[in-house]
Amino acid sequence: MIDTIANVLLQGILLGGLYALFALGLSFSMGVMRFVNIAHGDFIVLVSFLLLVLTTALGLNVFVALILVLPVTFAGGFLLQRFLLQRAAGSDVLLPLLITFGLSIIIQNGLLQTFGADSHVLAGAGTLQTASIALTSGIYIGVLPLLTLLTAVALVLGLDRLLNYTRLGSHIRAVADDVAAADLIGLSSGRVYALAMGIVGVTVAIAACFMGLNMNFDPTSGPDRLLIAFEAVVLGGLGSLWGTLAGGIVLGIAQTVGAHFDTAWQLIIGHVVFLVLFLLRPQGLFPKY
Amino acid sequence: MVITPSAPLLAVEKLSVFYDQFRAVDSVDLTVTPGEIVSIIGANGAGKSSFLKAIVGQGGRVAGSIRFDGQDIAAWPTSRIVGAGIALVPEGRRLFPTLTVEENLRLGWDVGRRGGMTAEEVFDLFPMLREKRRVPAGQLSGGQQQMVALGRALLSDPRLMLCDEISLGLAPAIVNDLYALLEKINRRGIGIVLVEQDISRALNVAHRFYCFLEGRVSLAGVPRATGRETVMKHYFGS
Amino acid sequence: MAFRSPSLAMLACRLALLGGIAVLLLAPWLFDSEGLAVLTQFLTLLVLALMWNLLAGYADIITVGQHAFVGIGAYAFYGFAALAGVNPYAAIPLAALVALVAAVPAMAIVFRLRAAYLAVGTWVVAQVFMLLAGKLPGFGFGSGVSLPIAVAQAFGTDPAGRYTTIYLLALGLAAVTLISTWLLLRSRIGIGLTAMRDNEEAAGALGVNIVRARILCFLWTAPFLGLAGAIITLQNLRISPPASFSIIDWTVFVIFNVVIGGIGTLEGPILGTALFFVLRAYFSDLGTWHLIILGVLSIVVILIEPRGLWGLLRRVLPGDLIPVSHRRAAAAGAVRAAPERFEPQPPA
Repeated sequence: MIDTIANVLLQGILLGGLYALFALGLSFSMGVMRFVNIAHGDFIVLVSFLLLVLTTALGLNVFVALILVLPVTFAGGFLLQRFLLQRAAGSDVLLPLLITFGLSIIIQNGLLQTFGADSHVLAGAGTLQTASIALTSGIYIGVLPLLTLLTAVALVLGLDRLLNYTRLGSHIRAVADDVAAADLIGLSSGRVYALAMGIVGVTVAIAACFMGLNMNFDPTSGPDRLLIAFEAVVLGGLGSLWGTLAGGIVLGIAQTVGAHFDTAWQLIIGHVVFLVLFLLRPQGLFPKY
Repeated sequence: MVITPSAPLLAVEKLSVFYDQFRAVDSVDLTVTPGEIVSIIGANGAGKSSFLKAIVGQGGRVAGSIRFDGQDIAAWPTSRIVGAGIALVPEGRRLFPTLTVEENLRLGWDVGRRGGMTAEEVFDLFPMLREKRRVPAGQLSGGQQQMVALGRALLSDPRLMLCDEISLGLAPAIVNDLYALLEKINRRGIGIVLVEQDISRALNVAHRFYCFLEGRVSLAGVPRATGRETVMKHYFGS
Repeated sequence: MAFRSPSLAMLACRLALLGGIAVLLLAPWLFDSEGLAVLTQFLTLLVLALMWNLLAGYADIITVGQHAFVGIGAYAFYGFAALAGVNPYAAIPLAALVALVAAVPAMAIVFRLRAAYLAVGTWVVAQVFMLLAGKLPGFGFGSGVSLPIAVAQAFGTDPAGRYTTIYLLALGLAAVTLISTWLLLRSRIGIGLTAMRDNEEAAGALGVNIVRARILCFLWTAPFLGLAGAIITLQNLRISPPASFSIIDWTVFVIFNVVIGGIGTLEGPILGTALFFVLRAYFSDLGTWHLIILGVLSIVVILIEPRGLWGLLRRVLPGDLIPVSHRRAAAAGAVRAAPERFEPQPPA
């Protein structure tokens, strides 16, 4: 009994690590640029397909492929912000929403045209995907889920350091504090936003790698990832990266507990727990703003 | 002090600033020579702030020419203007409240010419900031915030500082300190444009002044050579 | 524009509108079943567009979850007509009622969020409704279920007659939606919302309780969306979570249509939805590219003219085709009545 409870909680926390990875990039862009990227989940899926091509066509190890992809997604985020999303900065809700909705549709349908509707999973990580560690006789931890959670923690630490201890980080926080003031003193908000979106691109690639290793994905998986990410960000409290990690873990536990009783209810329980917690505590667990 | 004739540091000609159809600044001519303190006085809504913002490339659409050190900067982005040596101390101070004092100051260095003063020298100038260096700027008093705003501008190593209403909402004793500091800054050879509602303070410290009325220059001159009644007449219009 | 005078252009637009209404009224005699089916789709999508426009264009509620109420209407209609054995005609208004009831708890969540967060929040709520619909016993779970033949035959024993009945129901729904929304926008509440959209201070001077007006609009749209869901079910003869709660069909298309046509006007949704059907007729063989083209088109339109195609037309037209316009005079009058609360301040 105790073993079962411990096992469910443990698996939930591990799943939460993956959800936190989905959410960290979104958390960063919502905290800094105050906009919700509807295509966030689709970006993750898009990069997963890119990794799929690199690992299957070139036979690369998935982590080597990830390292190759990181500069590409950084540049992608930078250019996207600079040339498209920046046009919507400072305008009302509709324009950014519409642009990212349009991107979402374009990515989903473009992937459908290219890869068809089949589900895929990333391979090429060797025995990592099946290995597990026995904690006690009844409790096993998969090495991959553990690595996923540790990566999420490392990413939070890394983003936290970047924000609080680097020059770029102080520029990003300044722009998040007061865009107009940043522009007044000559700190070009457009450039800072573009760099921030480049960083989001890096987090998207990391999330894509671990999503592809941990679960199936197809061209229309993006919106589900977006909703999970959004829920983790709101649960954790806007602007708090540690909160986002906590939010992801709460959702992971909720889903795993739900699945323990009936796998068909896993997703609903996750959403319902989000809605209930949100009604009880709209500002989230660790609100910053 | 005697103003020696030299090439102007800033030469503004026929500058107009528009917000949609509204003309906030109307054909203003203004010059600042190196090391000069120039005050701009005028009633609320006379276009003083719009004028300062236009010089650093912010705010409404501009027409006319703005020359800084001989170069036409009217079409430059703000970052390039600040990098060339013009720093704005904006109205309301506009510090970044969640950043520490030191981080706010550091931003000035990052956007500026990367020379001149260091943060330590700014702390020498404003000793009370030194112990607050790790405090978020949003927790400082108004006077301390104004010091950080001035320090931030100084760290960008400006040749010209544009100060917008630095006395607003501050106690007279603190304003006295700030003005003393302004003169100290000026003695380092930094030109200063001072927008101020407090006419007597503005005229006391300035080498020359301009009076704005409804977006236009209604009067320009040297404070000591201009009678108070003349100033008031052009301040309020007649 | 080829028109020499604005009034001539206005006349042409009025004629086009009247011609369109005449065609819609005479459609049962003009078109075969296939044509009527397309027109029925047009009318239901028009209802969805009018509702999204009411929320996004006037009440400042940018929702991406309105497919929730379409799906709830569809499932409720099925529940009453096929499972509870209620008269199928009576099941339609009951479906509207269920949608309205479901809107109340949804509101509790939606109105705690703002702006873009509100948008994604509505999506989460819609997702929950969709997942729950897939768990309902008797409704075919995740794969859905067909409408019993008896229910369909209540609307006409032969297919041709059924198409005509469903078409007339859709026409009635669209007419009621358009007229009632028009009246709402011309009411005190509508004036307040328009004033708020154009200038928040002026709205304050009007004394309209904006929060209450936004709640009213949100609740207003639910039954109409539910009715559209019932008619869509009648036409498709089946319900299923992914089709009845389709975000692409009932929300994304609709947003694109309204934005392309012109958000915040009554003409815009009509124009945008009509254009959508014209494009679909020509580009349907493009498959998924069709969606991509629409998405790109709506982004281009909003970047060029935020008021959409109707905004472009409006530059040459002297007035609105469907005048919600006495609002301007009324708003201006109210502002004059309380001048101390509304003084335009020139930037300092």
